[in-house]
Amino acid sequence: MSTAARPPSLRLGQQDLKCRMGCGFYGTPQNDGLCSKCYREKFHDKQRKLKQKAGETGPGPSSASLDRRSPQHGHNHGKTEQQQVRKEDLSGTLQKKKFTAVLQKTLQAGAQKITQQRGHVPDPTEDQFLLQLRQLRIPDDGKRKLKLEIQRLDTEIRKYMNGNGGKNINELSDLVQNAYTKVSDTVHNDPSFEIATNEDRDSAIDFFEKVVMTQNHKFLFSPYFTTDEDSDVKVQKRIRKLSWITAKHLDCSIDEVNSEARDLVYNAISELVGIDSYYSPQEKLQCTWRCCRHIFELLKRATGGPASADDFLPALIFVVLKANPVRLHSNINFVTRFTNAARVMSGESGYYFTNLCSAIAFIENLNGESLGISSEEFEALMSGQQAYSTPWESALLACESLHLISENMKRMEELQKRNALISSRITSFEMELIDFQREVTERVDTVIAKAPLNLLPIKTPAFLIGQARAHLLNESEAGHYQANVLSGGGGTLTSQSLTAVGGLAKPSIAPEDAGLSLKDTSMVSMGRLSPLQQNIQPADNLFASPIFNYTAFDSVSLLEEPSSSDVLMLGSEFHGGLTNINYDFDLSDQSGENSTADDSKLNLDEFDPLAQKGPVNQPPSALPETSLLDSTTDSLIDSEVPGTAVLLPSPLKPEVANYRGFSNFDIPSISCNTGDFSSLGQDGAEPPK
Amino acid sequence: MSARRSKSSPTLNFKAVLLGEGCVGKTSLVLRYMEDRFNAQHLSTLQASFVTRKVSLEDGRKAQLNIWDTAGQERFHALGPIYYRGSDGALLVYDITDQDSFQKVKSWVRELRQMRGTKIALIIVGNKTDLSEQRAVAHEEALQYARTVGAQYVETSAKENEGVAELFDLLTHLMLEQLSQREPDASPLRLEHAGTDGLRSSDDSEVPDASDPAGQRSCCGI
Repeated sequence: MSTAARPPSLRLGQQDLKCRMGCGFYGTPQNDGLCSKCYREKFHDKQRKLKQKAGETGPGPSSASLDRRSPQHGHNHGKTEQQQVRKEDLSGTLQKKKFTAVLQKTLQAGAQKITQQRGHVPDPTEDQFLLQLRQLRIPDDGKRKLKLEIQRLDTEIRKYMNGNGGKNINELSDLVQNAYTKVSDTVHNDPSFEIATNEDRDSAIDFFEKVVMTQNHKFLFSPYFTTDEDSDVKVQKRIRKLSWITAKHLDCSIDEVNSEARDLVYNAISELVGIDSYYSPQEKLQCTWRCCRHIFELLKRATGGPASADDFLPALIFVVLKANPVRLHSNINFVTRFTNAARVMSGESGYYFTNLCSAIAFIENLNGESLGISSEEFEALMSGQQAYSTPWESALLACESLHLISENMKRMEELQKRNALISSRITSFEMELIDFQREVTERVDTVIAKAPLNLLPIKTPAFLIGQARAHLLNESEAGHYQANVLSGGGGTLTSQSLTAVGGLAKPSIAPEDAGLSLKDTSMVSMGRLSPLQQNIQPADNLFASPIFNYTAFDSVSLLEEPSSSDVLMLGSEFHGGLTNINYDFDLSDQSGENSTADDSKLNLDEFDPLAQKGPVNQPPSALPETSLLDSTTDSLIDSEVPGTAVLLPSPLKPEVANYRGFSNFDIPSISCNTGDFSSLGQDGAEPPK
Repeated sequence: MSARRSKSSPTLNFKAVLLGEGCVGKTSLVLRYMEDRFNAQHLSTLQASFVTRKVSLEDGRKAQLNIWDTAGQERFHALGPIYYRGSDGALLVYDITDQDSFQKVKSWVRELRQMRGTKIALIIVGNKTDLSEQRAVAHEEALQYARTVGAQYVETSAKENEGVAELFDLLTHLMLEQLSQREPDASPLRLEHAGTDGLRSSDDSEVPDASDPAGQRSCCGI
């Protein structure tokens, strides 16, 4: 390890931290040890050079003068040039062959590849976002504006990702951060947010971040043009090599043999590992927050008082070492780049996150001295020449793990059985439903066969028509009601044909006309009678529109024309089934009532096989309130007193027995999660010890 | 909180880092500060490494003061810069009975000035005045040093609760001053990018900056 070869101090000199270009700023390893500015300059320089080179070789020997290239000519070469540039550029920065192979594939596939990576983000979230947008306590005007901003940033990110130019993660990060600033400016100064409270404004900003980040997670998380994945593997391997580290090495007050402490450590570990399973930076930060809360709880029990950073950081390092979370760097970088820095980073979550970053930095740079052992010993332990634990302890740990494995296997089997049972019941239920549907259809058919729809000519008494005519003549300004009566009556009298067109167009028709018009099987009448259709038409233009269920979030359709398919639309057969039943009813019986549409809806509900289970077109506001935002507001923005949520310690300290496991021996240490071996074995590195 | 305001500025957010060797009383200072302000509810904090307080400013605005504790052990020293980023102020705590802890303060000051330039308000805190008979760092020496680096100097006793509240008031005041200097309209929604952290180009940051008002103010009145 290179760290061991360094002078005996872990302390990095100022020079190590600084940008290699000597500009005085601090550099980062991600940028080749350069600061972001120099890196960008260098990056662009390189790109320009490569472009130039490609440009020179492009036209080739045919013409030496580049300026004479017509725009048409340049266009022809544009694409291949760009690809060359990107290929060379990337293979330069990523030295790992394994990755270049993957990357080249990615590059060849080009933009399509990116857009085809679907299924990564679950789609039902869209509905949830719609619901949450509705629940935000800001004026509708503000919601509209917020929605517009979301759309804008979304498009911008996609445009950037699908563009052909060289991509730089810092540019992308700047783009997003600028959008955050802009939104926060809008939310706080725009008149359409005037009546909202500060808290509601903040949750609007959080909502903005969350929607955009969740929807674009697949593009922004560990993008192919960064070295994130590389670092992930590196740190995972390093942690695996450091699996022998115990709490004593780190001088932290975690009592590894205490079973209560073990539980808390495992809680913290599972939270830490869980970071990877969330999509938005906010949720990842919350996860970190919960992890750190477990650690503080642990420390409080160990030391008896509120823990300071002197205790906390070593404990966090210990937990990170034991958890060995997957895609650590990718997650950290994702949060650093795309969280709303202005809102979150100075708060409590930001503090914990910063601690996590420094814990990782420590792990990457630690050497013998920082653990209180000689560098020779460190080297021996790292290389695996010297085993840290005695054979007895190792055997014990192995036994314990085997026990755990068999326990877990049993549990898995049980779960599998249950799962099988559930799926078999689902199938039988499905069958029942189909049977039921068939039965209903049959019955309806028989009823219809028994009682066919007979249309009787409507007999309007002659004296009524006469009266109406007279009335009309008397009043020169005839309302449409009279006109209808007249035309309807006239129609029946003269030809008895179904000229109910006028009645269809006007809702306030005479009952007779409604009865007649039902026979008309034109689309218009179907539409009017079907309760489904009516409900689909969204009453609220604000939420139904193109924003969520729409195209820009759907990456596939990015390349196509946006389609106007409605997400809320039900399966076609169900839809068709209802309408089929629908217009066959003889409604002439109800001629005494005016609102034919309402009645038919009521009737239909009885036949709706799904009506029992829950209304199909239930308004979204009635959905269960699994609002993700609700949980963010209280934690991301710091509670006023960070510690109040904690229980007072009991004056009586219960003696907690040491964790003895199945084997009933003191287990000396918490074993380190060495991660998924199969994923790491591929790169042909030395087999992990 | 008034719900109806046409233009509401988000609360000012200040971040201050707390630096100091182990056992100089960083935690006690923070706990004392928090406890005093929350006399009614007994201190039941889980942790003392991150504390946050809402404070009212002279002009009626509200500000949130976030204090970030850092691990003081030597082995974690190199991690400091990760915490400094975006900080508006720093409390550099040393134990007046311990010369070494004072020397450590000096190295932090250098680092902070290098990374944050004059964008950070520094307060050097000599803690444990209750043990003044064992004093190892003279008051004048510390004061002199603070002047040369453009920092304030304050002596406190977390044990006797002397100068603690004043210390944090001074910190808030200084950070506000920094902010209004940096941006005349004092917009708290500033973005800190990695590359935009200002840095004095000269390596010798102990030269007092003439434009730094903190260096000219008479300090140690508290």
